[in-house]
Amino acid sequence: MTLLTRASPQTLRLLALGLALLATILFFATQIEGYLSPRMFNRISTSAAVVLPIAVGQAIVIMTRNIDLSAGSVLGVVAYMAGQLLSANPDLHPILAVLFCMALGAGLGALNGLLIAWGRVPSIIVTLGTLALFRSFLVEWSDAKTITTASLPQWLVDLPSANAFSVGGLDIRVTVLLALAAVLVTGLALTFYRPARRFYAVGSNPDAALMAGINARRTVLTAFILSGAFAGLSGFLFLAKFGNITVVAGLGYELKAIAAVVVGGVSIMGGSGSMIGVLMGALLVDTIDNSLTRWAVVSEFWRDALLGGLIMAAVTVDTLASRQLTRLRKGGTQ
Amino acid sequence: MTQPVLELIGLSKSFAATQALKDMSLTVLPGEVHAIVGENGAGKSTLIKIMTGVHQPDTGTIRVDGQPVTLRSTQAAQDAGIAAIYQEPMVFPDLNVAENIFISNRAKGRIMRWSEIYAEADALISPLGVKLDVRRAASGLTLAEQQTVEIARALSLKVKVLIMDEPTASLSAHEVARLLDIARALKAQGVAVIYISHRLDEIFRIADRVTVIRDGQHISTKPIAEVTEDGLVKDMVGRALESFAVKTAANPYGDTLLSVKNLTCAGVFENITFDLHKGEVLCLAGLVGARRTDVALSLFGIAPATDGTITLAGKEVRITTPQQAMDLGIAYVSEDRRKLGLAMPLSIFANISLASLKKLLKPFGLIDARAEAAMAETYRKRLAIRSPDTLIEVGKLSGGNQQKVMLAKWLETKPRVLIFDEPTRGIDVGAKAEVHGIIRQLASEGVAILVISSDLPEVLALADRVLVMREGRQAGILPIEDATQERVIALAAGQATAERPAA
Repeated sequence: MTLLTRASPQTLRLLALGLALLATILFFATQIEGYLSPRMFNRISTSAAVVLPIAVGQAIVIMTRNIDLSAGSVLGVVAYMAGQLLSANPDLHPILAVLFCMALGAGLGALNGLLIAWGRVPSIIVTLGTLALFRSFLVEWSDAKTITTASLPQWLVDLPSANAFSVGGLDIRVTVLLALAAVLVTGLALTFYRPARRFYAVGSNPDAALMAGINARRTVLTAFILSGAFAGLSGFLFLAKFGNITVVAGLGYELKAIAAVVVGGVSIMGGSGSMIGVLMGALLVDTIDNSLTRWAVVSEFWRDALLGGLIMAAVTVDTLASRQLTRLRKGGTQ
Repeated sequence: MTQPVLELIGLSKSFAATQALKDMSLTVLPGEVHAIVGENGAGKSTLIKIMTGVHQPDTGTIRVDGQPVTLRSTQAAQDAGIAAIYQEPMVFPDLNVAENIFISNRAKGRIMRWSEIYAEADALISPLGVKLDVRRAASGLTLAEQQTVEIARALSLKVKVLIMDEPTASLSAHEVARLLDIARALKAQGVAVIYISHRLDEIFRIADRVTVIRDGQHISTKPIAEVTEDGLVKDMVGRALESFAVKTAANPYGDTLLSVKNLTCAGVFENITFDLHKGEVLCLAGLVGARRTDVALSLFGIAPATDGTITLAGKEVRITTPQQAMDLGIAYVSEDRRKLGLAMPLSIFANISLASLKKLLKPFGLIDARAEAAMAETYRKRLAIRSPDTLIEVGKLSGGNQQKVMLAKWLETKPRVLIFDEPTRGIDVGAKAEVHGIIRQLASEGVAILVISSDLPEVLALADRVLVMREGRQAGILPIEDATQERVIALAAGQATAERPAA
């Protein structure tokens, strides 16, 4: 009880998430043969690496009391156009390729942000529109042609299997490291960089933000630009991982990202959330997703339903638990 | 002569067709407490918003320390040394106290040094006489604590002019005293405090000079020694007002209607016992945090009591939902108009009919729009709601008129027991007198009335009996003949000599 009443709700949430992750892994270890293997670790970590940046961007947007439904389409557009660019210019420096992806994503995000912050249109409407718009643009632009691995430069094809380092037999891929860097940099900024604290402030109380001299519009615009840029980074990782890019690239990734963010304890009402939570949320979602594909008991069609159930369970448990906690504390202090 | 810290010269401001300020001038000196009084709608809010950079004047000049300035944003106003604290404090519930204090402090650089921030926040908070953990999240702070956070925020900006907009509207007596102490301390440091309040007694306690504004115009600025309460009220309303806070004779009241025995809500309040008679006004007095509102909420079924009995007209009842309470003829006019009282974006008529839509039903569950409009119109006239028609959004009305709309909604349910929670909080003297008149009128029609008020003069002006609560317990019941400010405060604050067993 003392732990329950003393630790901050955020800490408890992370603890619960960690336990859920552990329980999930242990459960599947008993169900799937050879589950606890470096191979499975690679499968999950590289798959989570694609989702993580887009989830980081989504988390920033959700902190400001908005939502970015277009992120999956941004990922698709960026992955496709970057594939085209690299096919045409195989000598382009890798760093420039990554920057191109993030800049293109940021541009698309800025379009969202401008409409939301200055056009005063709710973000769910704007991004629902651009979700379809960006995807349709991609269909038109691609002329139904597919980017194939054969047309990509060799360094990109090799990237997903490139190892950064190994820990105890587990390989940490370069792409995983890239995704973790995005989480780390954003996490540090959200804690220690004053302008980044505005995302929390604007989401927590928009009126008070105005009175405190915070430019809420610019803050929201920045959030959407970042969301676009991170979706672009995910687009690059998607391109590297799959190589073959069609017009449906990244379809549904916005929902996967939102799932990771919400399961990771970022309040959908804005104002709170942490990058560690998002990291753990993404890991949990991807662990379940990847494990279910290998678990014969559950058919493919039930995977989405289980994920949906997980999201609802996470939010319900969170709401009930924090209410219970508030009651406990009131009882404790008075 | 001292250089004025802030000068407003010939400010005018219009919104669409209404002129909010006309040729307004004001001079504020360093180290003075300058009170501004005026009825709601007199232009105080517009004036504050211009001083804090939220609005820009159409014409006129603002000078700070003799230099003309343009306040394009709240940030610009803060940079010029002008900050404000509001009736409804502006804090960020998800951020901790320390960050709330330094949120707009650009001098602190771009990197958050948390330990430094906590230490400085502590140093700003502790001289204010409030115990507050600067690391806790701001959600769940009381209004007084939130205000303290706002004051600390203003202090961290090294303000020259601090505007306090109705800072005491929801504070208890000792919290008010502490706030006035803080204002005096600021004054001693040379800060100019602009103090806006409807409570004239506070103005006489704290102000050096007082400015009256009416209809967007400057009426007078005088040293406090040269004004009287009557004179101020006369200047504010532009006419003499007879009924202001004058005790009317107690109504002779009838049979017991509501009888509450040992009402308890575990962990919140306990053993509340009283009888409420037809035609009686019983006031619940006490400090903020005495749990008076919680008693009302349990009588209205929102937070049902866990123990004790409620007897209505001789029958014991259990009230667990607001619907049950309404069916029994109990109405609750909330203190929080914004959250619990009114649907702000809806029209006046839609708000008035909201609690009695059943009466307006036609076949197929449709609403009889004509009857609804007629109902609203009746109340607009009867309660003198100042609005050309009943189609206007409630959110656009002044506080006093919103209060009347909320009251109309509940009157239409034809209640036998009417509970008023802070019926005149944040509304001006004219509207206040009207609301008091309405409450008295209802009592004389036989409605049993329970009023929760933190405004002691109001309690003494309205009540037939006063029930004083302290920290969830009943400290005593005083008949109005025995109730004086001193005795009520003594009971509410729990001074040993005034201790009485629960009646």
